[in-house]
Amino acid sequence: MSAVVTETRGQYRRSRGEQVGLFLRGDWWRIVLLGLFLVGGIAPLVMAFLISLKTIPQFARQPFALTFPLHWENYGFAFEIVLEFIKNSMIVSGVTVVGVLLLASLSAYAFGILEFPGRQVLFYLVLSLMMVPSAMTLIPSFVLVKDLGLMNTYWAMILPWIASGQVFAMFILRTFFESLPRELFDAARIDGASEWQGYWRIALPLSKSMLGVAAILNILGTWNNLIWPYLTIQKQALLPLTPGLWAYQTEYFTRYGLTMAGLLIGSIPLVLLFIFTSRWFVAGLTSGAIKV
Amino acid sequence: MAVKEMPALSSTAAQAVDVQERRKPLAKRIYEGRVAYTMLAPTFVFLLVFMYYPALLGLYRSVFKWAPGLSADFVALDNFVHLFTKDRVFLNSMDHMLQLAAWYVVSTVGVSLFIAVLIHRLRGARTQYTFRLGMILPVVIPAIVPLMLWKFIYDVKVGPLNAILTWVGLESWTRAWLADPNVALYAVMLRNFPWVDGVAILILLAGLQAIPYEIVESAMIDGASEMRRFWSIELPLIAGQIKLITVLTIMWGVQEFTAVFALTQGGPINSTMVPGMWMFFNAFRINKMGYASAIGVVLFLLTLVLTLINMKYITTEEY
Repeated sequence: MSAVVTETRGQYRRSRGEQVGLFLRGDWWRIVLLGLFLVGGIAPLVMAFLISLKTIPQFARQPFALTFPLHWENYGFAFEIVLEFIKNSMIVSGVTVVGVLLLASLSAYAFGILEFPGRQVLFYLVLSLMMVPSAMTLIPSFVLVKDLGLMNTYWAMILPWIASGQVFAMFILRTFFESLPRELFDAARIDGASEWQGYWRIALPLSKSMLGVAAILNILGTWNNLIWPYLTIQKQALLPLTPGLWAYQTEYFTRYGLTMAGLLIGSIPLVLLFIFTSRWFVAGLTSGAIKV
Repeated sequence: MAVKEMPALSSTAAQAVDVQERRKPLAKRIYEGRVAYTMLAPTFVFLLVFMYYPALLGLYRSVFKWAPGLSADFVALDNFVHLFTKDRVFLNSMDHMLQLAAWYVVSTVGVSLFIAVLIHRLRGARTQYTFRLGMILPVVIPAIVPLMLWKFIYDVKVGPLNAILTWVGLESWTRAWLADPNVALYAVMLRNFPWVDGVAILILLAGLQAIPYEIVESAMIDGASEMRRFWSIELPLIAGQIKLITVLTIMWGVQEFTAVFALTQGGPINSTMVPGMWMFFNAFRINKMGYASAIGVVLFLLTLVLTLINMKYITTEEY
């Protein structure tokens, strides 16, 4: 027990020998339990990988274990189709996130930094939208997009997603802007800077990490949307990744090697994004949810 | 959650300015706020066209019998009366939604709490970091991928679940998991075993790590056991995070129908139907747009009530 008490919560780096010592002293069963959860979570992906290397007869004979020869060409086939979906998703989610950040940061600056009549009322107007579930706006939005002639265009996804995505982004950015010292902006004003300069030269550079967090959360949301693109995009060439994978899987359902390869390829882009931005990811998924 | 921060909008310093400001005529103050209005303009253009207008239209259409291309007949509250008195599918779907949401809360909170405490108790900083990363990584797999994989796992002929059951000698348990009305709802519910939710784990872990170590230390000097430490110190101190996760999960569970859409489309014989899916079905399969809008409004009211309950009774100042 005394050994535990003198621990300082492992906040310093330990040598390898110490690590092994810790393992033997009592971490081992926790590591085993956590490992089981990880393995359980990853098992379906491992299964997908094993199946993705099979032809139809190989799958029929031996569905789950590795069978030789390995058919990597399944990936080549799936890649050609899925790449198109990934490209569409990158365009749609990319344009959306730029629009969201631009609009949300502007309105967050107005609500967080500026004084003007009607600020409270306007803010409540935006706030109230947080309570409107997407289910309620689904049908009218569909009719609207149809009437605007946007069906089967990227805009059918981009424009509504900018509108809905900016609400949440605005909240986290406003909270952040408010936490910036007022003196910064006052000093700039005294030096003759306009509010636009205050926004562009002070607020934005200081909130790069928060913009990153908002961006990641927004991309995750649009990237995973199945229902809306399914409704508004009938042309296969314009389908983004999530409905694309769904259509692809439906089309090749019994050719399991191909479908599994497609699902795995479709997982890669966000994993890459995660690798390069894991700091923002982790910060965004916790603090974003807690602060708002 | 955001609402409680509202008073912070006007700090005392800002209030002093406010008093000065208010002496000016309104027109002048509006003129001076022109930059702010310009900054808000694009946001509100988008909100008006793609949020307010559809939301209000949804409310409006819910009192009509209406299909695209046909004239709309005003039917007052008939749609709602029909929903709650005659529509068995809808009433059952509400029941399914409650069961699903309840399970999502139990599994998310239970499993995430267990994992978060396990990670928090790890003594090696590096193993702690590794597991934290390992738990969050699945979040970036597109949600459709596990859904499709589980559809395959449940497959009657080639699915691994039936294969495993056969292998361990429980052949009589094998079935068409997603096509058997008796078990389909549970199959939808229990997908994604072992229900690791990276986001919830991170939130709980952040709460656990914010507990001042002195508190834990003094308890341990007094001889508190690991269990006691959990029940008497950690659990009460992360109650805020647990409530947050519960509320978020319920709100999500009420609207969610992507999983049902991808796995079963509400079938077999509506045994996995949830309100969102039923709305979708009415609107886009059988063109009862007005009726479907009424379901949307019911979901809105449900969300509203939950939000109000949350704001009044559950949200605390702890986070």
